[in-house]
Order: sequence, then structure tokens, then C-alpha cells
Amino acid sequence: MNKKFWKSGDPFVWLTGVALMFSLLMIAGLLYLIAAKGLGFFWPADIAEIKLKDGNMMLGEITGHERIRGMGALDKDEVAIFRTQLKIGNRDLYGLDFKWVDDDQIVTTTYPKFAVVLERREWGNMFGFIKEVSGSGTIICTGNEECWPVLAGLIPQYTRIADEIKSIEKGAIGGINMKIEDLRLDIKGLRSEGASQEKISKVEAEIKEQESLYKEQEEKLSSLYQDFNKEKFVMTSIDGREKEMPVGAVVKAYRPNAMNWLQKIGLYASNVWAFVSEDPREANTEGGVFPAIFGTILMVFLMSIVVLPFGVLAALYLREYAKQGVLVRIVRICVNNLAGVPSIVFGVFAVGFFIYGLGSTMDGIFFKEALPNPTFGTGGILWASLTLALLTVPVVIVATEEGLAAVPKEIRDGSLALGATKFETTWKIVIPSAMPAILTGLILAIARATGEVAPLMITGVVKLAPQLPIDGYFPYMHLERKFMHLGFHIYDVGFQSPNVEAAKPMVFTTALLLILIVVALNMTAIIVRNRLRKKYTTSAV
Amino acid sequence: MTPQVKLKEFRQVSSGVKRRKLVDRIATVIVTIGGVAIILCIIAILVFIGLETVPLWQGVKSELASSFFLKESPDLASYSLDTSDGVEFPFLAAGTEEYKQIGFIVTNDGTAVFLSLKDGSTVKKVQLPGLEGKKLTSAFVTQNNVIYSFGTEDGNILSVRTNYKITFEGDKRIITPDIAEGELLNVGSSPLVKIAYEQDDDGEGSAAAGYTSDGELLFVATEQQKSLLGGGEKKVLTHNITAGLDDAKVTAMELDHFMRNLFVGTDSGKILHWDISDKESPELLEAIDASVNSHTAITALGFLIGDNSLLVGDAAGNVSVWFEAQDMTSPRGKVFQKIHTLPPLELPVTNITSSERDRGFIASDNGGNISLYHASSEQKLADFKTDGGSVSTLAFAPKANGIIAVDRNGKLYDWDIDNPHPETNFKTLFGKVWYEGYSKPEYVWQSTGGTDDFEPKFSLTPLAYGTLKGAIYALLFAIPLSIFGAICVSQFMHPALRNTIKPVIEIMAALPSVVLGFFAGLWLAPIIEKIIPAVFTLPIVLTLFTLAMVFIWQYTPRSIKGKFKEGSELFLLVPVILLAVVVTLWLNAPVEKFIFGGDYKSWFYNVLGLQYDQRNSLIVGFAMGFAVIPIIFTISEDALTSVPKHLAAGSLALGANKWQTAIRVILPTASPGIFSAVMIGLGRAIGETMIVLMATGNTPIMDWSFFNGFRALSANIAVEIPEAPHGGTLYRVLFLAALLLFFFTFIVNTAAEIVRQRLRKKFGQL
Repeated sequence: MNKKFWKSGDPFVWLTGVALMFSLLMIAGLLYLIAAKGLGFFWPADIAEIKLKDGNMMLGEITGHERIRGMGALDKDEVAIFRTQLKIGNRDLYGLDFKWVDDDQIVTTTYPKFAVVLERREWGNMFGFIKEVSGSGTIICTGNEECWPVLAGLIPQYTRIADEIKSIEKGAIGGINMKIEDLRLDIKGLRSEGASQEKISKVEAEIKEQESLYKEQEEKLSSLYQDFNKEKFVMTSIDGREKEMPVGAVVKAYRPNAMNWLQKIGLYASNVWAFVSEDPREANTEGGVFPAIFGTILMVFLMSIVVLPFGVLAALYLREYAKQGVLVRIVRICVNNLAGVPSIVFGVFAVGFFIYGLGSTMDGIFFKEALPNPTFGTGGILWASLTLALLTVPVVIVATEEGLAAVPKEIRDGSLALGATKFETTWKIVIPSAMPAILTGLILAIARATGEVAPLMITGVVKLAPQLPIDGYFPYMHLERKFMHLGFHIYDVGFQSPNVEAAKPMVFTTALLLILIVVALNMTAIIVRNRLRKKYTTSAV
Repeated sequence: MTPQVKLKEFRQVSSGVKRRKLVDRIATVIVTIGGVAIILCIIAILVFIGLETVPLWQGVKSELASSFFLKESPDLASYSLDTSDGVEFPFLAAGTEEYKQIGFIVTNDGTAVFLSLKDGSTVKKVQLPGLEGKKLTSAFVTQNNVIYSFGTEDGNILSVRTNYKITFEGDKRIITPDIAEGELLNVGSSPLVKIAYEQDDDGEGSAAAGYTSDGELLFVATEQQKSLLGGGEKKVLTHNITAGLDDAKVTAMELDHFMRNLFVGTDSGKILHWDISDKESPELLEAIDASVNSHTAITALGFLIGDNSLLVGDAAGNVSVWFEAQDMTSPRGKVFQKIHTLPPLELPVTNITSSERDRGFIASDNGGNISLYHASSEQKLADFKTDGGSVSTLAFAPKANGIIAVDRNGKLYDWDIDNPHPETNFKTLFGKVWYEGYSKPEYVWQSTGGTDDFEPKFSLTPLAYGTLKGAIYALLFAIPLSIFGAICVSQFMHPALRNTIKPVIEIMAALPSVVLGFFAGLWLAPIIEKIIPAVFTLPIVLTLFTLAMVFIWQYTPRSIKGKFKEGSELFLLVPVILLAVVVTLWLNAPVEKFIFGGDYKSWFYNVLGLQYDQRNSLIVGFAMGFAVIPIIFTISEDALTSVPKHLAAGSLALGANKWQTAIRVILPTASPGIFSAVMIGLGRAIGETMIVLMATGNTPIMDWSFFNGFRALSANIAVEIPEAPHGGTLYRVLFLAALLLFFFTFIVNTAAEIVRQRLRKKFGQL
């Protein structure tokens, strides 16, 4: 290399370019991988039938292919050995969902056209062939081809029954149970107050009434369950094992190898919809994430209600009302720095102050009869939202202050000169001009809150919440309830799940969803800021 | 207009003005109060967290709940307290129950008197069974507050068990005490001056040692002989082990609950250690000179909870803790040694009794001083003093919340102790502590254990170490990428390009850390494990490829060069980087073969002694570095861009090239900004929780190796606080950890902020 090469400085310039491009490539790679893995999860992939050298047959979805031992170039005499990962499903028969096969053991790989995939309520997917369908003891049909239309026709019927069962269990019975529990607590409260026996027996009568209602629903339920198990069918796995199950056990049945692209896209769309609208199944490794989406949004919403007025008020004080001096400068630096304080610290504060402090006190005053079971003295959506509000209030303050500082002094002076009071100037002139900044602050706060997990883990997020924090029973919004959260769902399913391998695709999908929400919020912040900025700069002129 | 109308209008206007002024004033008050309140609230967070940790540093609170002369009780009035002419002190043992309502005294004629600790009135009087009128000559507490044993004047050892039956009458708690007969074991025929006794939990076997008034040391063990028919008879083994004493006098004895070790303290200052696990033949293991040739008699022995650590008190008032620590140089593989030396008492130690809750104990001396100690932290927590001289019997309340003592004047003292966090002081939280079972003092974090006598170990040092380790690895990865990237974007790129690249990198900052953690832990970690050699070769290959690219670029015709907007030619590096990655992956196996001998894991283990964990610091470095890059990038880019343009123009005009200008003129001017960027990045890395939680093994080890994990303060809080009981030591220590994090990030961020403000001023002057 000649002297000029180094002297030009170009090599160093390009090396800084490597740093930049490498960072950009990492972002692109990460987003691409999560998108690819997350979106691929819903695709009804073809079912492969693999014949092995030892005569065994396997049926399943091909999910991976890799080289055994090490990566990179080989020696001359070495031969690369590859292996294939197969999702074989049938957890109840095999015990494992996934299996690795060495490629040199495979004799043939075919795609049998009529292989059936069942998405089940329990035990995960099943891959196999239908042997027979029977209803109340009599065989309706036999053989895979003949039975397919029968089974496919029966499933929607059973889905309807399943929905009904769910609505009774969760809705009616859940409501009755809640009422009975409330009445029991009432009795306890009355007893401790020393109320008359008359009052108590009145409440007891109400409990009796509710209990008879409960019986009614239970009977309805048991008859539904009988219907639910009426028709049964037998599946044969590829290795000849048979499994009998009621039609009700199936959520969805399809034959991917016999489907065309359009059908597959249709199924894909319905899978995506199911993912965002259904409850999780099988320890969160299957089904949807609706409660987590709901919990995340509700929590962020509650947080916004708290953080916006308080943040704006504090910023107004700092910028408009406080005497600008050393003290305010120090306070400003402190508020700035609070945005950099680890979120877990806020979580710890919330545990000590909200849960054990405020919550326990509230329990002692308002929910005495439920003690020793804590009502507000344990994690819940209210505390989690307040924690995030504390965490994000500096973001709103800083953004609002910036917005207030950007409002030209002339505008204020003009307003004051026309006789408006300070409050009127602030309220009608300054705040509207600073609105873009305030909104940006709020959106950035929301974006930060959506992605935050650590403080929530200790203030009320759970892996599986039996009820949503909002339902049809008084007082409709249950702020003391624990809730599910997308970010925690990722942590829980990815790291605490007993079947991580099976849950992985689901985690990628959840991660994708979370990224989409957060990125969309950030983009909105940027767009809103630009739009409003334009609007106000033009109107100010 | 008539004047009247004018006046009316004026009134209207003026009332409107008044109202508006009122509104204005109210608004001012609301905003001021509200604003100040919110800011105070935010700052109150720090105060609150701080307050929660205060009890950790607070000492013991104690008060004398009651005291009275035992003589005042009609049942105890007849005993003579005069011990001048060799008469033994009549009150041999004392104790209390869980609620500290009832205490008891055992006298030398075998009477147990249960009395109310409030006023000394007798609750129940029981004659110990099986004594047949013989006097008691010595006492021994076997299991604190449950089993007591006594030596008699005819050479027997009698063990008894105290029972407290608790019933409720409405809300009132009624405690009915009782004494259950234990074993009567014959040791010798002379009066027993000192005894030690233990029995196993099912009462099938026991061991005892007795020192008689004529100087004989006897060891007795009983075993239940199981016959095939199911019935069994007790086999009694007696050994005379006086020879081991070497003519010294026994001054104290202690036997552990597992019946494996017998410790005897002598007046020559020796601790004799017998291995009694084989009941057929007790073996004298060692005779340790505990007083180091000063012949100070060992006057009191005791065990800490768990019966592994021996408490030793001597005639000079010294108090120490001994246990067997691993030592490979000794033939037994472990050495019985003095581990902790505690602040001494003033006069010869008379009694040592340990807590059943923690590793605290109390010791008393001849002058009536009583001290409360904590063994592991080597601190004296509190002092008590009787007003009647020497303490003759001493007992620790079962919940470690009180002390019962009887002095030579027969006065009983009942102290209440409030000692919620005995194990924490600066040393146990941050320093090295020699815990039982460890071979040397170490920094240990281990907050929960399986057994009741588990000692929680709260050293925050390994956690702080982990936090710093993670942050430093993250910065090692992030600093070069982000600062070089920032230089590139701000100095070598067209502003239009900059305006598109910057938001993209800023989006990176918005990625939830839980996603990064999950990605690192579940996707990256298994892949990196396979391609470690490639990870190390990538920087080299990448540099070579880039230089080659530059070489090609310099020989590219101007006509082609001109088509690129300034800086956009760097996008040509994207395929170069991809190619470099592919080539490095291809080189993975050859590199592993030629440099690491075919298996990098065993190479690192054999050559450098590094163990490879799948989730390690390298992974955390990548993931957390990824999270930190956008922060450092954005702030340093801002600093670099805001350097006044005339500086660069001057430099370029003088003939410096772009790189020289950037590195010699722009970078030094902007360096405070870059420093503050790094500081803020550091602050973020220190506080990051989810990534370190998911991408490390969370083991609290102290090791700089990048192949193993660590446990960070933040992850530790997230993992442990849900299980920490409110108000407990663990809970408060976790608050302390949060406080540390708070302070650390606050200081780092403030430093960064101040530097940035200075820089802004400086740029204004340039």
C-alpha cells in the first residue's frame, strides 16, 4: 500500500462508516428476524412425511435445518452432516413436540395430500389421519377421506357449544360467585360491627338465592358438557397409534397439503385474528394474547390520565410561575435526571409505598372484612399504572417545558398588553402553542411505559390473570386486580415456561406485536410533532 | 349615553376584571402549590427508599421489662443465697417461653418454679421426677428453652423437657406450663460439677459427659438396640476419658446436637476436641491452646444455632467463635480454628447462650455485664448490666426478643430486645465475611436457604460487581460503534442522509428491553455458542475487507465517484460487511481448528481456565450494548454537529484532510459532549433490568471472565423482592440495593448534565 492510501484519511473515514453500517445492519437484522419468525408462526406450513432408514415414519412440520457440530469450512476428508427439526406434535402420544433427525437417516420426504392437522384445546397440535367418526356409539364413517367432510362439518357446531360453555363459566357463574363472595364479606362485616341477627339472616337469604341460581347454571352447564362429548372420532398417528377424542377437543382442523394459496392466506388471517382476540391456552404457550393486549392498553391508559395533568402542571410551574433562579435550575436538572433513574428503582418504591404503605392502609379502612386477604395491599393494575406514571412524569415535564420555552416571548407580551391576565395568557395562548410538545411528551411517555417490564413484575403483572380488570359487574373497573402484560408475557413464556421450544414462535410473535405498538407510538409522536409544529408556526406568523 | 348607564357599564367591567383577577390568583396558587407538590413528591421517592433502609443501621432497642428478687416469692424464699462457705448457688437454671409471659427457675433441690415474669407470682411448682431427694449440682441447657439437664450429687444426669400448653379464653391467652420427665442417666458415683448432655430427636439415643468433683471426666452414650422382634433395650456405653485432660481441670463443656463432637474447656486455656461419632471409642482429635500460652481458663462454651460454631468465653473476658474450616494442608482436610473475635467483656465470662432465630448470642461476666453479640458480623449489639454482680444463670427468649438473667443476689431480670436486623452492618453488606462452611472470608450473596438454621448472606459487593461488569462489557461493545458512527454521520455525511439515518437509530432506542433480552437469551446465546471463534475473527476480517474496499474506491474513476452524494458511498459497505460476515462464518471451523485445537471450549478451559456458560457476559454485552448504542450515538452526534462550522472550515482551509479535521479539531472540541453521552449510556446500562435478567445465568459470582454470567443489582431486586417479607432484612437490603442504583445513576447523570451545560456555554463563546 502506498503512502497516499493512509495519508488521505480515507481508510479511517471508511472504518467509521463500518461502525455506522454495522449498527444499521444490526437493527435491520433484528427487526427482520423477529418479523420473519413472528409472522411465520401463523402460516399453515405443509406437513412432511419422512421415512427413516430404520423403517420408522414421521409426520410433521419441518421447522429447522442445521449442520451438526460447528460452523464454517470443512477439511477435505470431512463431510458436512445436517439434521432436520420436525414439529411432530401429538404431545399426548410422544411427550415431545419437536424432534431432530439426521439427514443421512432420511430415505424419503413426501407431502401426503390428506394429512390432517388438528389444533386442540389441550396437548397441542395433532398430526395424523382420521380413522373413524362415531356419534353416540354408532360409527358414522370410516377412513381419512370420507371422514374429513364429516369432521369439518361438526367442528363449527362444537365451537359454538364451547363458546356457550365459556360464556356461562366466565360470565354467569363467575358473576354469581363474585356476588356470593361479596355477600359473605358483608356478613363478616356485619358480624364485626355487631349488627342484629335479622340483618345477617337477610343477607344469608340472599346468598341462598344466589346459590340456587348457581345450581341452575350448573345444570345447564352439565347438559352442555354432555352435548360436548357426544360425537367422538379416532385419529391414527403416522406410527399407527390411535387416539380417540371428542370432537369438542378440536379448535381447528385443516389439511395444509391440500390447501391452495388463497385458502392458506385465509387461514393465516384467521390465525392472526385468533392470536389477538383469544385467551391463552396451555400455560400461555398456545392460543392468543388478548388479555395481555388488554392489560397493556388499560394500564397505559390509566397512566396517561395520571401523568398528563401532573406533568403539565409541574412544567407550567417550573417555566411560567416559578422564579427562575439557581433553585429552579437545580430542580430542573434533578427532574431531567429522574428520567435516567432505573425503572426497577421506581418499582421498589411502588412496592414499599403504594402496596405496603397506601394499599395496606386502604385495606384496613375500606376492605376490613376481606382481611387477611389483601385487596389493595398487593400488586394490582392501579399500582402498576401509578408506578409507570412516576416513571414517565419526567418525560412529560421535560417535553412540556421545552414546548413552553419555545413559545416566543412576544406572543405572551402581546396577550398581556391587551389586558389578559397571566392565567388567561397561559391557558389560551401559551398552552395551545405548546400543545405539540405536550402531546409528544405524552406519546413518548406512553411508548416508554409500553415497553417497560421490570417495575411491573413486582407491582401487579401476573402470568395468567383469571379475570380482566374491566367486566360487567359492579364497579365495572376493578383497579385492584392483577393483570397480564405483553412485555411480561414475553419474559414469562420465553423463560419460565416448561416447554420453551414449543413456545418460542409464540414469543417471537408477541415480541413483534410489542415492537409494532411501540414503534407505531414513537412514529406517531414524531408525526404529530411535525404536523402541529407546522400548523402553529404558520398560524403564529 | 347617560352617566348612569356609564356607571353601570363601568361596574360590570370592573366586576369582570375582579373576577378575572380572582381566577388568575387562584390559578397561580393552584399551579404553584401543585407544581411544588409534584416536584416534592418525585424527590420524596428518594427519601422514602432511604427511610426504608434506615432500620438496617439502627442498633438494638432494649428495655428492662421487669425485675424482682426471687426471694420475694414464697416458694423461693427459703433458699440461702450465701455462697461464701462453698455452698452452691441455689438457682441452677432459668428460662422462658415464646410469649415471655412465664419464666421458670430450677433450684438445687430439684424444684422447678414457674412464675409470672411480670410480678414474680408463682404459676406452678413442680418437683423434678426421679431424684429421690438427691441434690442437683450442675445444669446444662441442651435445646434452648426445651430440654434442660442436671447433674446430681450421686453422679446421675437427669434431663427434663418443658412444655407450654396454650389455650384461649376469648381473646386472652392462657399458658399452662409443665415439665415432662426425660432420661435419668448414670455417669459415675461422685457429684457432677460440670455436665454436657444431648439426645437425638426421637429420643432413642443420647450422649453425655460429666466431670466429677474428684476430677474424673466420663463420657456416656446410650443406644437403642434394635432386636429382630421389634422390642429393644438400651445399651449404655461408659468411657473414662480423664487421661485426655492432661491434669487440667474442666471449666466448661459442650456437646453438639448431632452427637459428633465433644468440646471441653480447661483451666489451662485449652479446648479439647473429642470425636464421639463412634460411641464405642471416643477419640481425642486435638487439644487447642485457645489462650495462646497465657493459660487463661476457658470459662464458658456454647454453640451457635446449627451446632457447628463453638462459642468460647475465657477468664479474661474474651469472647470468640470457632468452627472447622476447610484447609487442605491439614490431614483431616479441615481445621478447627478461631474465626471471629468479638469485643471482650470486662471480667471472666460466666455464661454463653445463643439465639434460636439468628446467629446472635449473649454472654455474661462475673461483674454482671451482659452483652448481645452477632457472630458473623463480629459486632456487639447491646450491653446490659445487673446491679447485683455476677450473672449466675442466663437465658435467651425463644424468639430472640428477650433475655432472662439471675444475678448472685437472686434478682431476676427480664429485658425486652427489639433487634430486627442483627446481621447487617457495613461490613456484612459490603465487606468480606467468613461464613460457617466457607474456607475463607468471602463476598457472598445468598438470601434464602433450605434449612431453619440457614444464615442469609447479604453482601451487595458481588451484585454491584455484576452490575459494573455488565455495564462495562456493554460499553466496550457500544462505545466504538456509536461514537465512530456519530463521527461518520456528523462529519462525513450529507445533512439529508443524516436526517434519515438519525431517526432510524433513535427507533432502536425505543425497542423494549424485554425484547432485546429475550432475543439475546433465546436466539443469540445458542448461536454465539457455536461461532465463538468467528466472533473473535470478525473484527479482523471486517477491517481487512474495509481497507480493500477503500483501496478499490481510490482507484475508482471520478465519473463513478461523482454519482454518490457525500457519504452515501459508505452504503457500499453494506455488502462488504455481509460478505465479511459470511467469510468469517466460513472461517469458523478452520480458526477453531488451528487456534483453539478443534474445540474452543476445552481450549479456553485448559489454557486460560475459563468455563463457558451459554448465557454469559458476552451476550449481555451485545444485547445491552445494542440498547445503549442509540443513546450514546444521539448525544454524541448532537455534540459533534453543534461544533461551530468555522473551526472545521479553518482546519480544512489549512490543508488538513477530513479525517484529520474530524479527529484533531472536531472531536477534542466535542469531547465533553461525548463524555456525557458515555456517562448517560453507562447510567442506562447500570439500571437495565430485563436484559441482564434474561441473558445471564444470574449467579452472583465475582469473575471478570466474559464467558460466565453474573447477577446484577437490578435483576436481583426484580427476582427477590416478590418473595421478601415486608419489613424483613432481605426487604430492606433490596431497598438499599435500589438506593445504590438510584445514587449511582443520579450521580452519573448529573455529571453528564453539568458537562453538557458547560459545553453549550463553551460553544456559545467560540
